[in-house]
Amino acid sequence: MNALAIAAPGPTTEAPATAPPAAHVEIRQLGKRFGANTVLQDLALSVGQGEFISLLGPSGCGKTTLLRLIAGLMLPDTGTITIGGRDLTRTPPHKRNVGVVFQNYALFPHLTVAENVGFGLRNRRIGGEELKRRVDEALALVRMQAFAERSVTALSGGQQQRIAVARAIAVEPAILLLDEPFSALDRKLRETMQIELRHILRDLGITSIFVTHDQDEALVMSDRIAVMNQGQIEHFGAPSAIYTHPASLFVLEFVGQSTRLPGLVTRTEGDQVEVETALGRLRAPGGYLAGSRVVVAVRPEAVTLGEGPVAEFNMIKAPLADIVYLGAKTQLHFKGPEGEAIQVDLARLPQGGLAAGAELSLRWRIADTMLFPAP
Amino acid sequence: MSTLPLAAAGASPPRRITLDPRFVMALPGLLFMGLVFAFPLVLLMSKSVQGPDGLSLAGYGRILGDAYYRGVIWDSLTLAFRVTLITLLLGYPAAYALARAKGTLQVFLFALVFLPLTVSIIVKTFGLTIMFRREGILNWFLVNTGLIDAPMRFVFTEMSLVIGMVNVFLPFLILPLYSVMRMLDTRYLDAAATLGTSPLHSFLRVFLPLTMPGVIAGASIVFALSVAAYVTPGLLIGERYMTMSMVMAKAFLNFRDYQLGSAMACIMLVIALTIVFLSSFLTRNLEAKGR
Amino acid sequence: MAALARLFAGLMLFLVLVFLLVPIAIVIPISFSESTVFSFPPSGFSLRWYENIRNADGIIKALWLSTQIAALSTAISLVLGTLCSIAIMRGAVPGARLITTFMISPLMIPGLVLGIAFLHAAREVGLRDGYGPLLLAHVVVTMPFIMRTVLASLALFDFTMVDAARMLGCSYPAALWRALVPNILPGFVSGALFAFIVSFDNYPVSIFLVDVHTKTLPIQLLNQLEMSPDPTLAAVATVMIVLTIAALFVCDRLVGLRRMAAV
Repeated sequence: MNALAIAAPGPTTEAPATAPPAAHVEIRQLGKRFGANTVLQDLALSVGQGEFISLLGPSGCGKTTLLRLIAGLMLPDTGTITIGGRDLTRTPPHKRNVGVVFQNYALFPHLTVAENVGFGLRNRRIGGEELKRRVDEALALVRMQAFAERSVTALSGGQQQRIAVARAIAVEPAILLLDEPFSALDRKLRETMQIELRHILRDLGITSIFVTHDQDEALVMSDRIAVMNQGQIEHFGAPSAIYTHPASLFVLEFVGQSTRLPGLVTRTEGDQVEVETALGRLRAPGGYLAGSRVVVAVRPEAVTLGEGPVAEFNMIKAPLADIVYLGAKTQLHFKGPEGEAIQVDLARLPQGGLAAGAELSLRWRIADTMLFPAP
Repeated sequence: MSTLPLAAAGASPPRRITLDPRFVMALPGLLFMGLVFAFPLVLLMSKSVQGPDGLSLAGYGRILGDAYYRGVIWDSLTLAFRVTLITLLLGYPAAYALARAKGTLQVFLFALVFLPLTVSIIVKTFGLTIMFRREGILNWFLVNTGLIDAPMRFVFTEMSLVIGMVNVFLPFLILPLYSVMRMLDTRYLDAAATLGTSPLHSFLRVFLPLTMPGVIAGASIVFALSVAAYVTPGLLIGERYMTMSMVMAKAFLNFRDYQLGSAMACIMLVIALTIVFLSSFLTRNLEAKGR
Repeated sequence: MAALARLFAGLMLFLVLVFLLVPIAIVIPISFSESTVFSFPPSGFSLRWYENIRNADGIIKALWLSTQIAALSTAISLVLGTLCSIAIMRGAVPGARLITTFMISPLMIPGLVLGIAFLHAAREVGLRDGYGPLLLAHVVVTMPFIMRTVLASLALFDFTMVDAARMLGCSYPAALWRALVPNILPGFVSGALFAFIVSFDNYPVSIFLVDVHTKTLPIQLLNQLEMSPDPTLAAVATVMIVLTIAALFVCDRLVGLRRMAAV
């Protein structure tokens, strides 16, 4: 389970680095609409036991609705939700054994930290020593034992989040849902909490579904990512697969940066096609008929300066418009003849430096070139 | 929420009208208020146009056709107008001072304004009658300070009625005015002052218009309460100054003249609702102008 | 000039406060005086008017009735009003604004008009005894005060807490009881206290619904004030003032008076 697939760049298959375990959460044909507004349509999702899944997408894509449907806080119009083999589609939320960490944590301000964590246990008729022991365990997991008797209102944002996690996992839920739990934290704290939470959940082996609109967060935390758009899952796969082989133009644009050049397929040659673009002829792996309108795309870090062997590389020439120094890398921005934005990320600048305005040669591997049907 | 293309939406099963199940929580309250509040009001209106044999506007005819009852309505309205005007003159500067007070002093002063609002109106009116007596505190004060030579008669005078009603309704004016003034940024006035406007000018052109919503809210509450007042006029002046309330109460409690009483009640209802609509209209107008 | 205006305003506030408080304060010394007339300054000191309260059995009976009606009507309003407010706040009811206005509108209707309407309705459906109609009418009178405070409290309440409680094993009603109610308790208390005072003090609605056997305190007091005024009334008034101040104090501790008055 620990293999967060960081596959080497290059052609990989759709399959994640490890085969997904037996399905624990099975969602089929799920649909939900509010009035005339269809929020989810015919959605299917299968999550393995112990997997950490992210639902990634822009606001309004339906990811929060999906989360609330799994939680039972909303009922679907169509479809089924099965968790651990039980059909829970119509089961009320309090009988589902699903844990939720809410965006604003939703801690009970009238209760202490320990009472918050023990809230779900009490509802399950657990009391006395057993209650105390399990509250302690849950607090120990998030390293908050020292705060047991404090009021939750006196805690910092990061501490509140730990308590929210402890409260959700104290009842040992079948699955854990996390609704953008990091959005209220500042950047530094968010990064530490992400790593820490990932460790806790992996150690517990709890199946988790995590909703976020932040691609970095999704890439850091997840075994697999479901990229959602307009009520449907556009791509469900390992982070590396999502990044290197996005299933659609939407996924490409939503996750990471890219250079996109529209063009027309002129020739098919084996498993490659040749595309006429404003910046010249480019080749890409894929099967499109000649005459198809397509978009050729490449990630900025796949592009380098200078020329290379024609058999392996696509090459273009463009004037350098801007240089942005970002510490770990440097971004070069080029402008194509029709205003196309071309971005190149370099780990380090070439010796002698670069001057804006200079016409430079750029190259990238044909294998790194992505091809999508034009929108 | 994003919308899907229409084609996609058309493929799904026929639309169900989904009513949030939490709707049922509103039902007991709505049902209760429908039966116990709305139904009696409708009944009252129907009774006011009900004669011995069917529909009849006789009740209204007797009131509006009779100079005496027209006089009562006129007297009620002018009394309410006088009371409102005096509470405004007293309450506006008092609310200003209250809003400008700082810290604990403000909390304390606020509590003192708020307290009379919660003390029983019977207790207050009782206190007023004691105060107005020949040997009461008002005469005692006036004689001892040498303002008058001999005790004056206040009880059962129109003056005591107006003073008493101002006393009872003043907090209803001060509180909304205070909350508006407290929200106001004093920098407006400072800005006006630095621009060289005279204090009087800046008050009239800046502060007064900005506090107008509070004036409208407070004045309309006081006017509505004064028109409908019953306990205070009843105890302070009684039938020497007949008001609509008194006519209504007498019609029901003494003469059993339900037609007349119901018609008078409906006229008062119309007056009350007119005040509500007028004040909300004025406030909205003010907001529109401010924008 | 500006300083002069402030001085004038301060002076006005002082005079207004004296004016507002004298009629209330004056009953206190009168209640301790020996004489049977309300003269000022009061002469002597005695507690006999307080002892008298017990003898005037009409007052004790009326006090008990008013307490019952106020407590029951407040409780009923609290339950109905809170449920309705939750539905309104969660957007579960169409036309939420209109419904809110409707639930608060008894506040805009003159008391006597409401009383007469209730009288008609009670006759129409054949309710003859005083207690039932009185209680129902007082629920209507107290409802706006409950609705206003509860709606204001709910506006500040984070309903995710209810979801959280449900995910932790509470049914929806249990989640409301355990996550919502404790958190808007201050709103409940101040709303309920306000409603209780309004019902306890109501005269114009009650006057049409009372009979010889069921008289509320304000009506009993006003009767006695008109028939045989003596300082016993001042003693009752003093007790009521002290209780009111105590209630206000509790409220201030719980929510703060200013917040309570602002809603």
